[in-house]
Amino acid sequence: MNLTVVKNATCTFCGCVCDDIELHADGTRITETKGACILGQSWFKNHTAEHLYPDALIDGKEATVDEAVDAAADILHAAHLPLVYGLSNTTCEAQREAVHLAEIVGGVIDSHTSL
Amino acid sequence: MKNRADLIIYWGGNPAECHPRHFTKYTIMQKGRYIPNGRKGRTMVLVDIRETPSAKAADVFLQVRPGKDFEVLTALRAVVKGQRVDAASVADTGLSLEQLTDLANRMKACRFGVLFFGMGLSMTRGKHMNSAAALTLAAELNAFTKFVAMPMRGHGNVTGADVIMRYTTAYPFGVNLSRGYPRFNPGEFSTIDLLVRGDNDATLVLGADPGATMPQPAIRHLANTPTIVLDPKVTHTSRLAKVHITTAATGITAPGTVYRMDEIPLPLRPPLTGPYPTDEEVMRRIREAVQRKEQVAA
Repeated sequence: MNLTVVKNATCTFCGCVCDDIELHADGTRITETKGACILGQSWFKNHTAEHLYPDALIDGKEATVDEAVDAAADILHAAHLPLVYGLSNTTCEAQREAVHLAEIVGGVIDSHTSL
Repeated sequence: MKNRADLIIYWGGNPAECHPRHFTKYTIMQKGRYIPNGRKGRTMVLVDIRETPSAKAADVFLQVRPGKDFEVLTALRAVVKGQRVDAASVADTGLSLEQLTDLANRMKACRFGVLFFGMGLSMTRGKHMNSAAALTLAAELNAFTKFVAMPMRGHGNVTGADVIMRYTTAYPFGVNLSRGYPRFNPGEFSTIDLLVRGDNDATLVLGADPGATMPQPAIRHLANTPTIVLDPKVTHTSRLAKVHITTAATGITAPGTVYRMDEIPLPLRPPLTGPYPTDEEVMRRIREAVQRKEQVAA
């Protein structure tokens, strides 16, 4: 078991984005969340490094990421007005990619802000 | 805010339960350069339709009748400007003219005021008109003192989405790129409206689970048209989607940058290494695959 301690870790559960959390992790799961509030604690402890879900699903059946990426591209390429939606629980780097994708497919891009 | 805000107003939000560290880390409990006494040097006002646990932290609690926020804000703007306001029409909002006058006086007398508004304001009757009224009130208060307004953002990096869309398209959300240039029109290009009218013919969902939270007609449209989901878990939306791709969890197994609600960008320090690719990588691969298909078609 490989115990790691991350100081000044950043919590992305809510918009406060506290960046003063000390996390202890054993390589698979987070074991301690010093400084996090109760929402942050459950956020950090709710995710692990395990392979709990299939890599990808197409029509509910397990698929590889390559197949799923290709299927996704087919859908977006064929669509007249695709919508790219969400963008809250992800990184700015992925959001930039999302804008780029929306531009290429001529779609609408929107976030939780519009709710 | 930490160094100067002596009046802190939360409107339609419950930070004690929804943003538990907001009081201690950013607002009322902090000692600042010009607020050396911390909590004693600040006044907190809570405006909401019910007495939430946040009311315990407030010096003044104002209970508004549900759906009357716009009326309260508008009357408050008039009181701030010294215009005559009919007490009987104010009473309909659940507050008295005396309460509004007291609040207006506090706002004008403070050295630096902050108005935080939550979804209790921005997502209830009046919606973006309420947000606009709150922002206008804060802007107008700058004739008397320094005053700012800030939305209380719920989900982690929704502020980042605003910032990224703003600097890439000039608009913060609901941007239509179908004509090759950005167009912005909330109510027309916002997600719920598109889905409920059935305007879009495919959806890519990233970092959200609309299948769990949106109104039924919107969810039905997501199920009836091809939907693609990128998420660290198999979500409600994944179950009605054509394609689901499992991705690394932001800040836990995925590195990157996120914005705090006051638009400060912060780096992530993920403590774990997981088996799934990041959102960024999968989005890039989908974009490259679409570009290859467009080249073949052209």
